[in-house]
Formats: sequence, structure tokens, C-alpha cells
Amino acid sequence: MSVREMDIKADPSCTTNSLSNYLWSDPPDENKWADCVHCGMCLESCPTYEHTGQEQHSPRGRVHLIKSVAEGKLKVNEMFADPVFQCLDCRACTTACPADVDVGGLIEEARGQVRQAMPLTGWKGTVSKAILEGLFPHPNRLDSLGGLLKFYQKSGLQKAVRKTGLINIMPKHLVEMESIMPEIKESVRKKYKNENVIKAKGESKHEVSFLTGCVMDVMFGDINEATINVLTRNGNDVKIPKNQTCCGALHVHAGDRETGRKLAKQNIEAFQDSEKIIVNAAGCGCMLKEYPELFREEPEWHEKAEEFSKKVEDISKYLYDTGYEKPKAEINKRITYHDACHLAHGQGIRQEPRDLLLNIPGVEMVHMPNSDRCCGSAGVYNITNPEMAGAVLESKMENVPDDVEMISMGNPGCMLQMAIGVQKYGRNQQVVHTVQLLDWAYQKEDEGKEGK
Amino acid sequence: MAVKGLKTKDQHIINLANIVNSPRSILYQKEDLLAYDCDGFTIHKHLPRAVVFPKNTEEVARLVKYCHEHDLPFLARGAGTGLSGGAIPLNGEVIISLVRMKKLLSVDLENRRAVVEPGFVNLKLTNSISDKGYYYAPDPSSQYCCTIGGNVAENAGGAHCLKYGVTTNHILGLEVVMPNGEIIEIGANGIPDAPGYDLLGLLTGSEGTLGIVTKITVRILKNPEAKQTVLAYFDKVADGSQAVSDIISAGIVPAALEMMDKTAIEGVEAAAFPVGHPKDIEAVLLIEVDGISAGIDEQINEILDVCKKRNVREVKVAQDEAERGRWWANRKTGFGAMGAISPDYLVQDGVIPRSKLPIVLERINQISEEYGLRISNIFHAGDGNLHPLVLFDARIPGETEKALAAGSACLQVCADVGGTITGEHGVGIEKREEMRFVFKDEEIIAQTDIREVFNPKNLLNAGKLFPTPGRCVEIKKEMKAASTAAN
Repeated sequence: MSVREMDIKADPSCTTNSLSNYLWSDPPDENKWADCVHCGMCLESCPTYEHTGQEQHSPRGRVHLIKSVAEGKLKVNEMFADPVFQCLDCRACTTACPADVDVGGLIEEARGQVRQAMPLTGWKGTVSKAILEGLFPHPNRLDSLGGLLKFYQKSGLQKAVRKTGLINIMPKHLVEMESIMPEIKESVRKKYKNENVIKAKGESKHEVSFLTGCVMDVMFGDINEATINVLTRNGNDVKIPKNQTCCGALHVHAGDRETGRKLAKQNIEAFQDSEKIIVNAAGCGCMLKEYPELFREEPEWHEKAEEFSKKVEDISKYLYDTGYEKPKAEINKRITYHDACHLAHGQGIRQEPRDLLLNIPGVEMVHMPNSDRCCGSAGVYNITNPEMAGAVLESKMENVPDDVEMISMGNPGCMLQMAIGVQKYGRNQQVVHTVQLLDWAYQKEDEGKEGK
Repeated sequence: MAVKGLKTKDQHIINLANIVNSPRSILYQKEDLLAYDCDGFTIHKHLPRAVVFPKNTEEVARLVKYCHEHDLPFLARGAGTGLSGGAIPLNGEVIISLVRMKKLLSVDLENRRAVVEPGFVNLKLTNSISDKGYYYAPDPSSQYCCTIGGNVAENAGGAHCLKYGVTTNHILGLEVVMPNGEIIEIGANGIPDAPGYDLLGLLTGSEGTLGIVTKITVRILKNPEAKQTVLAYFDKVADGSQAVSDIISAGIVPAALEMMDKTAIEGVEAAAFPVGHPKDIEAVLLIEVDGISAGIDEQINEILDVCKKRNVREVKVAQDEAERGRWWANRKTGFGAMGAISPDYLVQDGVIPRSKLPIVLERINQISEEYGLRISNIFHAGDGNLHPLVLFDARIPGETEKALAAGSACLQVCADVGGTITGEHGVGIEKREEMRFVFKDEEIIAQTDIREVFNPKNLLNAGKLFPTPGRCVEIKKEMKAASTAAN
């Protein structure tokens, strides 16, 4: 028997009378999805679509679902949370989108609704609370953690844990993370805590304030040190405002927009007197630039956030724009560059860091195919979604050219993830921050002079 | 082996899951299915019964056989970028998604052919062979993400089809799962012009109603030796249109000859890939010529001359590959760019004789005024393939219907001047009724009769391509059946 061809009786989109199922304040913004015409140009840019082939794990699919909740066709429940939280928030879709749809903003707003509808419970809730609320907003506790990690490495405890097999009680992806933990250096926040201004070497031309970041300062104190060196060498007085705190990116990614707003307010006040705010972590820089987004419902703070965000600049773009001394010493290395998502897609900064590298004598740049594809770090995504993060990392590592000695980038999360990749796939590249290379070139130049 | 972890008691779902052998290869819960309620055509929405993700032809055949035996409606889907609704599950179909069958199976440079799975993305083919100096010619604007399987179903065109032809001119062989689950191969070994009926031609562009393509042998071409691209701005649409005709009349066959009107320019300039088109011009032409190096410059000079004769305000040649790339990105993302100036759009796909361009554009302008909806025009002017984009806001009650009516009116104009209702987007759901503009009832019946040979139960993608049987068609069919019985 043949099936009758049925007439279409489905309602046209958006004509339903049912109410929105977003029940909390700060819901996803209708104007953001109104730009999406469902053309699908975003599909291939999305790492989770690449790995699942499923629409609900694609940018336009997620936008479609977020809109469906507002139309009352879906509820904010676990089935909705899954695609919304599987998103890496890498923003590659915003680069691909012909209509500039702010998918990232929609995802973060939707996560805010999910977290209020379904607060995390059980061990996930405890861990998330302990880390996001108990740790990151508190610089002193972060420093203590840094101290503990340093003790762990220096005391022989690390060796013991690895040797005795005690480490095997951790899930595999955390073991991978432990194994690449960089050697902990002193945080610059601690080092310069008694200095109001770190003076420029030679004539002072500008004054800038520096956001030290959390992961950056604890795990990569040396990169922060390099950033300060490079800034002061180029005529910048550097201030590290005392009351600054975590940028809140991790909280906002996790849907905790309330804490995000709290931290944003604190930073806006801490940097009130600054003219320029320099950031060396792409994730933090992008978050700071997007503070206004958090205050859509608080006009007064929205205005302050707008003003604040205009002052934020990534270190590579700042050096590129204001001009800097080209290093003279040679660093003879073959280097490839990885575009951190929140630098390339989030802030549109692609050429500036590459130029910094190209201007170091001796550096040979090798192009990495798909260099702006996410590495899978995505804030704490590699901890919360290890399986997908692993798949994304594997694709990334396939694109790292075989014969390079270093992989350079501008974000601490990526650095940790890429280091995991290098180790996991038996590669031997050194993972470095772009600014570090510039600093090394300067140092080498100075050593050469002293040697003479 | 039974798949574990399913949250359903629906025996059909369980059986389908067992065929694809993984809980991750099937979707059946409402929240997941919602993302599949439409494709690039968003005006009609319908939930599928399930979405399955086979890994190989074998699985596709078993899924189809199951649906055939249990009378479950089903259809195939690629990237879901189609613009006429061909992948929308009108009857609550089981969607067989082919996106995980995305391998490039082989490349045979000597014989200039490649074999791909249906989920392989169009542009990836060119990217995979460009270092060897080859490319795949059909380039629909969605080529960054659309699949070659979908291109075959819709007989997709693209900007460069003016010179190189549409998808059907580049298909050498197909492996097809028939609607009863049997696997057949047509045009094996890529030998063109096989004896017997031209099944390749029939299958290509059949909009997923005759079978599911699981393997495709395509023709690949050597990169042209040289390539030049020109941008020309006109104060008057009529001048721009006339320039198009003049270029072709001069004996030049450009690889591409594209046009955008004022509203379209406003859209692309407000969107993600602006190139600085002046806002006060009425038309921009994007012209590309390619081929052997000798003679390219002469062709370009001739084109520049033609444009000047037609009062061009400004005309320029792309200085390098980067500039050329920007111009094309601006044009190829044109549809999506409409999102920047309108919440929704409906794109039409009429074809007209080139000489009628000025009249038709004028008529479309009138339609725009009549319906009170803005219409932008982006089109493959060289082959007379128009894409009027009706801009509307679905949130305003009644506006969707108005947009549909305006779109239909545009197609009526195309049909009236001796053109047709679709050049490359397919009929799908969108233009079923408009088929009557260009076919008589008897002609439509002749075609549905062919469908019945392949797809007798009409379980595969039912309700697409042809108008819902109108009264007279049905009566004629009944009469025919009665007379056959009587004989």
C-alpha cells in the first residue's frame, strides 16, 4: 500500500502562542538568533559537528534549540543541556557565519538558564563550587595552590606519586594533565606585590595596567614575567592593580553568570584608573572585552563595562599597534603558530602575533593547516568533557607539522592542552607563548652585548 | 547484537538501532529530533521519527529494507543546506543521515575521476586534489559545507556552472540503494554514454525520490592555467543587465558572471565579509574568465570595453588571489548575509532567457512594492538564473504567507517570459505547486509514473517535487486505472 502524500499543516516558525520556557532573568537574546537564517555555513567550522555529524551538536542546531525553548517547544532540561554544554565555545562559527550571529553569546546565556534550572548536585556540584567559587576568585588561595604544586614538584612527592602508582587512581585524562604540568615559577602578583609601578627601561612612553590572570600567574609565572619584560623594554610603565581578580571566563562558560558579574564588577573597579589594560591570555582578554554582554539588564554597569572593554588589549596587538623594538639576536628555530580560539575567533587577532614571530631573526615559520581549529582545551572543557576534548585534540595534533621544534600560541589553556597532545602522540615540540619568544630574543641580544 | 542504553520501547527504533549497531548512531528523543525539523528552507517544519547514521552502504541498504518492509516513510539527508525543503520529514520520516559516510575513496588523476562517499563535503574534494593541480568544478555557494550526495540529489549548480555545467555534467557513476533496499550500480567504471537509458541523468536531480546514492564517481578537472576576475559597478540595473548580454554576445564564455542588486549589496556589506561596494549603485557584476593564459588579457580588455560602453561607474580587475578571494567570499555568503538585514528570507530560483533580465527585474520590483516586502536579487546572470530573496519577519503574523505568495509571483514572472521555476535549488516542498506553471497535468503524471517504477510504495521522500495530486490529476489517474482494468 502506498502512503498518501500529506498536506503540510505544520505551523510556520515563531507563530506559536506558547510562552517561553526561559524562566530566569538574563535569558538568551532574541535579537541574536533573529540573525540566523539556518543556512548551514557554520557546520564545517564546528569541531563537535565534525566529530558527531549531528545537527544538535552544530552551531545552527544549537541556535535552533535555544530558539525552540523561547518558543515553548522545548524545556530547559538535561536533553537541552547536553548540546548546550557540549559546545566548546570556540567561536569558530562566528568567524564562519555570513550574518555575524553571536552564537557564543547565545550559548553562554543558555548555559546561565540551564544552571539555574538545574543546579549542579553531587560531586560535580561540590567540585565546581570548590574550584569556581572557592578558588579562582581568590588570588591568595591561588597563590597557595601554586605553592602547593611547587612543593609537590620539588619535594619529590611528584616522583613518588608517579612511581608508586598512586597516580593511577585518577581518571586517565587527569593523569595526562598531571604529567605535563609545567614547572611552577613564582607568580608576578607575589613578586611585585610591593611595587606600585614597574618602571620602563629607559624613557617612559606609556603607562599600562596588566591583568595577570589565574592559570597564567600560577602555572606560567615565567610568561607573565616575560610579558612585563617586553612591556618595560618598550617604554611602558607597568602597573599591576592590587584588587584585580579572575576575569570570570570559566564561570561564564560554566553558566555561573552571577559570579561572572561579581568578578566583572570587581575588575571594572580595580582598573578604573587605567588607560590601557594588557592581557596575555586570549581567554581572559576575550572575556574582558565581552563584559558588557553580562550587564544587559543593568544599564549603569553596562555603560561602565563598555568603557572598560574598550581599554582591553591583547599583548601581541598592543605591541604591533604601538610599535616595538625588533630583536636583533637570532633564534634559530622552526616554529608553527596555533591560533587560540579566543584570540582569532573571539578577538579577530591573527596576523599580529605571527608578525611578532616573523620579526625575530632566525625564526622560520611553518604554516599549520587549520591553525584556527580548537585544540580542545576550551577553558575547563578538557576536564568536564574529556572524550570530545580528546577527539578534538587528536585532529589538532594531526595538523601540527612534523618537522617544527616549537608550537607558539597566546593562551595558557591551549598551552596545557597542546603539551598534553605533544606528549600523548609522542611528538617532541616545545610549547611556548609568543611573548616568551620575543623576550628570549631580547635576553639573548643583551647577553651578546654583555659578552662583548 | 542488541544495542544497549536506548531509552525507548518503540520496537522500530530498537530494530533500526540494531542495524547501525550503536546508541550513538540513532536519535529518537524529541529534543534531538527538533534540530532535524527543517533544512536550509525553514518555512515548513516537521519532526522526523528518528535520525539514523549509517557507516556504509550495507547499513544503508539494511535500513532501507527495514523501512520498506515495515511501511515506514524515510528519506536521505546530507548537510541539510538545501533551499527547497528536500530533506524536511513531511511525513515523520526516518531520516537516514549520510554525514558519517564522508570518505574520499579514491582519486584517479590519469583518468580524471574521483570516488567519494555521499557525505563528503564538496569543497573538500577540490582541497584534497588542488596541490596536484586538479579541482572539482560544480561550486554551489554552500560548497564549504554541503555534501556531494546532496549535490547529486539536487543537481546543484554554482557560480562557475556557466562555463563548466552543473552537477549532472560531472557525474560518471553512482552506487544507489533502491527504495526496496537493493543495491545497484550505474555508470560503473566511469565510462560515459553507456548504452540503454540514461539512468545517471535521471537519478541526478531526482531530489531523493528515486533512490539513495551511497557512492559517487565524479569527473575532476585540471586547474585552468590562468584566471582573472573583474568587478564592475553600475548606476542603472538596466546597464548592468545589458552588459551581461553584451559580454555573452561578444563570444566570451566567462567561467562566472554574477550580479547583485542594491538591496543585496546592502546585505553583504552589513554582514561578515564586506568588500566596500558603494551603497548607491544599482548593480554590481562579478565576472571571471579562465582558461589557457594566451588570450585571457584580450578577453578581460573586451569585458572592460563592454562595461564602459554600458556606462559603468567603476570597473576593476582583482590584483591578487587574496582580493579575488574576498570578492568571492562576499558573493558566496550572500544568502546567509541577508540575516544581517532581515530576520528571515525566502530565496527563489527562477531561470529566464538572458535578454529578459531588465524586464523581469522591473517586474520583481513591482512585486516587492505590491506585497510590501523587500526583495534583493543575487544571481547567476550569465545563465539567467535569478535568486530573488524575499525578506520578511516570520514573527509578524501573516508575513510568512505573504513572502511565499511574493516568491511564487516571482516564479510566475519567470515562467511567463519563457523561463522556468528552478535552476539549481530544486523543487522540494517549496515549488511543488509552481510546477504547474511549467508542466501540464499529463506531463506531471508522466513523471510520477516514472517515480512509481523506482519507488512504488512512495515511502522514500514522499510529498516532494510534484504538486499534491490536484483534483483533475487524481480523476485522470483513476480514469486511467479504470480503463486499464476494463481492458
